[in-house]
Amino acid sequence: MNRLLPLILLVAACGKAEHHAPPTPTPTPTPALEHATQADLAQEIVDADRLGTWREVQHRWQGQSLRWTVTRQRVLCGSADDCNVSAFPIQRPAKQGWMPLLSFAGGQFDALATACGSQDPCEVTVEGTLSELEVSPDLPTKVRLSNVRLVTAPTGHVQTAHI
Amino acid sequence: MNKLIKSLAVAGITIGSGALTASASSHREAPAIAEDQYVDNTDVYAFLSPTDANKLVIVADYVPLLLPTSGPNFYKFSDNARYEVHIDNNGDAVPDVGYRWTFTSQRKIGTTFLYNVGPVDSIASPNLNVTQTYKLEKVNEKTGATQVIMDNVPVAPWNVGKNSFPNNSYEKVALQAVATANGTTAFAGPRDEPFFVDLHVFDLLGVGGAHTTDGVNVMSLVLEVPITELASNGVRPAAGATGKDSVVGIFASASRPRVRLLRGDRNQDDYGSFVQVSRLGWPLINEVIIPLQDKDKYNRTSPRNDVSNFGAYILDPEVPKLLNLVLNANCPATPPEGRTDIVGLLGPNTTKAADLLRININQGQTSAMSHFPNGRALTDDVTDTLLTVACNNGGAISDGVDGNDKAFTTTFPYLASPHSGNP
Repeated sequence: MNRLLPLILLVAACGKAEHHAPPTPTPTPTPALEHATQADLAQEIVDADRLGTWREVQHRWQGQSLRWTVTRQRVLCGSADDCNVSAFPIQRPAKQGWMPLLSFAGGQFDALATACGSQDPCEVTVEGTLSELEVSPDLPTKVRLSNVRLVTAPTGHVQTAHI
Repeated sequence: MNKLIKSLAVAGITIGSGALTASASSHREAPAIAEDQYVDNTDVYAFLSPTDANKLVIVADYVPLLLPTSGPNFYKFSDNARYEVHIDNNGDAVPDVGYRWTFTSQRKIGTTFLYNVGPVDSIASPNLNVTQTYKLEKVNEKTGATQVIMDNVPVAPWNVGKNSFPNNSYEKVALQAVATANGTTAFAGPRDEPFFVDLHVFDLLGVGGAHTTDGVNVMSLVLEVPITELASNGVRPAAGATGKDSVVGIFASASRPRVRLLRGDRNQDDYGSFVQVSRLGWPLINEVIIPLQDKDKYNRTSPRNDVSNFGAYILDPEVPKLLNLVLNANCPATPPEGRTDIVGLLGPNTTKAADLLRININQGQTSAMSHFPNGRALTDDVTDTLLTVACNNGGAISDGVDGNDKAFTTTFPYLASPHSGNP
């Protein structure tokens, strides 16, 4: 019987295959990353450099809605059209060079400027869509968050956020 | 550093943010370009012409650390590359005007191993066996349209030695390579390496005043152009103007064709569009700010994306930490906001911060005002300036090398004559 068991299982498996068409492959849904931080992304980029998983990283992160706490320096975020923020606290020291580029939802750059006031640097929490993620072994990492809205101002005042 | 702020103020340049409290460029700076030295951009200089303040001088150097005795195939520019300088004239860090050099090599006699087959008394000498010429084009970087400024211009020969250029005749011959057309003057050829530094800096910052770039040459492209050729809308801003168009931002680059096909039975073929393999604006950015993991990536990218791509390195540079570790330099810790003072220097007059060598082109500017980081004069000790800026401890940091081995000239092409292979 012990010898027959594998054969029986094989026949059963083949029989199943004859009666059922192979399932149409459906793309695995990308799990939401709403709680993932920029540190998670940075770690995946470091891993990709070692494992070559650049496409997987891009597939997993591109288009995700994210909530990140970042640091705004006025000199690097002077207008709604030209705003980069620090993804990581200074003095780590810097392990990666990229600074997310923010494209704001209507009125949100002004909201950020008002919330930060004269604070510089100014730590804020924002929500947005990771609309552009370039990760590769050949070009620098580039991160753009679009439709960005201010969630938490430096004072802790909670803003309304809809994405 | 106060000296630095004063020089900026004299030049009418304001910096974006951050109070500054204090005062080896790009030779073999990245792994990939170190394997392709003919297109390795080493330094860029920009200064108002000392002989005509209505003109801007731009120097772009390539092919680093050349021994004068490098025969029989002496150094030259690559025939399979584009050498370019790019100028942003409206502060967005996107080039508006460019100049492009392309080179063609010639050989008169194939049956000798000699670069020259007798004494050379002129650049047209039949004894000069191996020669090179170039085409210089002006490029509208918005449209890609090109205009030939000059063509078939000779490259200055290598300074082979006293037998080839008897009676100290080399420089007379080399200066015959200076060409002028429509107000633009150009020179291409070997010159004395103008960058001075103690390269022992790469031995764990072991600087001590060793003149490690003395006695070597470099391949130089020199351009003297009417400022109106570069300025936004062709108009030079009025004296005292502080708008984004009161400065132009300059970087140099080199590009190679995308595809090279090596063949067993004949020379290689190059195909495809050109790909940037080297670039440089400020001295030392890619050399000591950008870490190894991103150095080649830096050379492939454009200045307009520098903050997005590399901003975190600029905000928290490695140099002060190393200075503390190795030299006990007492550089203060990076402040919580990061080194926004350096970012401010990279984006004067509210221009977009980027690795561009920016220089004020307002009316009334003079050569004496052109000192780094308002442009860069040949005499500027940028290593000391940048070490001092990076450390920011209120004192001056020096590599101990304060000047070039040869005096620069007061007339075009301003760089010193190259060292002779057989003095």
